[in-house]
Amino acid sequence: MSSMVEDPIQKLNLFGCMQCAICSGSCPISLKFDGFNIRRIIRKAVFSRELPKLSENEVWGCTTCGTCMIRCPRDLKPFETVLEIRSKLIEEGGIPPTIRDALESVYKHGNPWGRIRDKRSEWAEDLNIEKPKEGETVPLLYFVCCSVAYDPRAQSIGRALVNIFRKTGLNFKTFGNEENCCGNEVYHMGEKGLFEILVEDNLNLFNQYNIELMVTSSPHCYNAFKNLYTGINFEVKHYTQLLSDLIDKGKLKFSKSIEKVVTYHDPCFLGKRNNIYDEPRKIIESVPGVKFVELILTRSQSLCCEGGGGRMWFDLPNGRLAERRIEEASEVGAEIILTSCPFCLINLEDAVKTTGKEDVIRVMDIAEFVSEAL
Amino acid sequence: MDIIVCVKHVPDTAEAELTIDETGKDIRKTGLVFDINEWDNYAVEEALLLKEKYGGKITAITIGPKEAEETLRKCIAKGVDEAIRLTDDLFKGSDGYTTARILCSAIKSLDLKYDLILTGAQAGDDGYAQVGVTLAELLGVQHVSLVKKIAEVKDDALKVHRELEGGLEEVVEVKKPVVLTIQTGINEPRYVSIAGVRKAAKKEIKVLGAADIGLKAEDVGEAGSPTVLEKLFIPPVTKQAEILTGDVSEVSKKLVSILKEKGLI
Repeated sequence: MSSMVEDPIQKLNLFGCMQCAICSGSCPISLKFDGFNIRRIIRKAVFSRELPKLSENEVWGCTTCGTCMIRCPRDLKPFETVLEIRSKLIEEGGIPPTIRDALESVYKHGNPWGRIRDKRSEWAEDLNIEKPKEGETVPLLYFVCCSVAYDPRAQSIGRALVNIFRKTGLNFKTFGNEENCCGNEVYHMGEKGLFEILVEDNLNLFNQYNIELMVTSSPHCYNAFKNLYTGINFEVKHYTQLLSDLIDKGKLKFSKSIEKVVTYHDPCFLGKRNNIYDEPRKIIESVPGVKFVELILTRSQSLCCEGGGGRMWFDLPNGRLAERRIEEASEVGAEIILTSCPFCLINLEDAVKTTGKEDVIRVMDIAEFVSEAL
Repeated sequence: MDIIVCVKHVPDTAEAELTIDETGKDIRKTGLVFDINEWDNYAVEEALLLKEKYGGKITAITIGPKEAEETLRKCIAKGVDEAIRLTDDLFKGSDGYTTARILCSAIKSLDLKYDLILTGAQAGDDGYAQVGVTLAELLGVQHVSLVKKIAEVKDDALKVHRELEGGLEEVVEVKKPVVLTIQTGINEPRYVSIAGVRKAAKKEIKVLGAADIGLKAEDVGEAGSPTVLEKLFIPPVTKQAEILTGDVSEVSKKLVSILKEKGLI
């Protein structure tokens, strides 16, 4: 231990843990993978006064969904112990190759998907979206997100949002190829140095303009800008918050009716990590014809899809919990399962195929759903 | 065991749309991201693994402009002990042979001690795959190319696996000192953190030119190279693809007749 100030056990106040087991009892990962037990990790750390050595699956299995944090009666953030262990391993160099590749890609190309910067705005080539000019006032800056920019399935979130903005008369701009990874996943994978670089680069980019409101596709980008950055001097909203405001102001009008039984999967970084539960539901219920049903595990009890905390680049055995969400959707009789996060969308889309429910349940992002009903 | 590892700073061109520059002999580099050559990354990792097991010192050498120090910094951050950058306007236009000559002169004039020299099997930019074996020849030591595994390290020799065509592997025993050209997949290169690279920024990198390593203008660059790059061009797009339709036996017959017609069988 170099100094008491840097001691992660002190920093995270792990001596405050009373081993009540609420964290491990409610952890979505422990539900499917016996090897991961956040309570045991904390116990080991406190007893040995140092970060414990864990198996690769334990270190990289945590999705940082925040269930342990919101339930901890001592107001601790148990999952951050895992982040400290990740940071230590990152300094030592011994991390899974898929995580390594994602981090190196962020450093080199500004996205974790191994794609070049020149193709970042390829998804919007035919949409003629304007970029802001230096010093310009930008009433609405749409922050697209690496996954929406590059992932073929998630790209449709971007196209849907552009359609919604245009049909509601919103004047918006994007950074195009200059947009950079927000760093939320980098932070949660424990690469603090790289995260600092991203914060600096992004603030330099943002400060070239007078942004009034930034809207993100992804709850992960939202979380980064809202909770991890210091120095952002404009309002940041997840798009569900903006659409909810538009409904309140009577500006979002639907011309089509969708006569379907619809359910909603809460993204952890929107719900558990940022307490946004009502806005998505309000949007869904505003769409004419919809019969909304809740999943069995919902809101703060929602089950993680296993896309957060670097888990898009690391797999645990036995499938993903997204499959259980599809099973739940099936049990409650939903024809459409909605979500509001590109990672959840990708995982649920995979899960509907691996569970053989492709023909029964449709997976959609709220943005796509709203765009269809306009 | 002292190891020299030769590394190259190359552009990442996997997805980039490349264009030829005004000289007609190079690609436009604007907007390209540079990093350590993929094969060299495995060579560095292999050197680190050997150092961790048997001790000794690792020296990384590159030939390249100031920016190439980024690759050397990464090597230092991973655990390489010394780094040398060879740079000179005279080096421009050096082919694989002359590149090996520059490396050889540096190793000899600096009197670098080595049991092993590792290079990547080839470079991702020019893909010549010549430098490692030529360097061995110039130094008068053994070499083994396309090494996939270092199976055994003895006092005076190594047992290594090399990759052959058709999925075959050859196992050879070779006396030290030796040059190994490393194939990708031999190991899993470690991650180097930003904090690690920042710490490595303080470490001195030795920078040397042609004269410092005893080379004259006629020894290097185009003047010293047996091969000269005349022209670089993007192959023209042609429309030769034909999709055969029908059941398996029909498609097979058509395919055989096409292959015969073209004199391929």
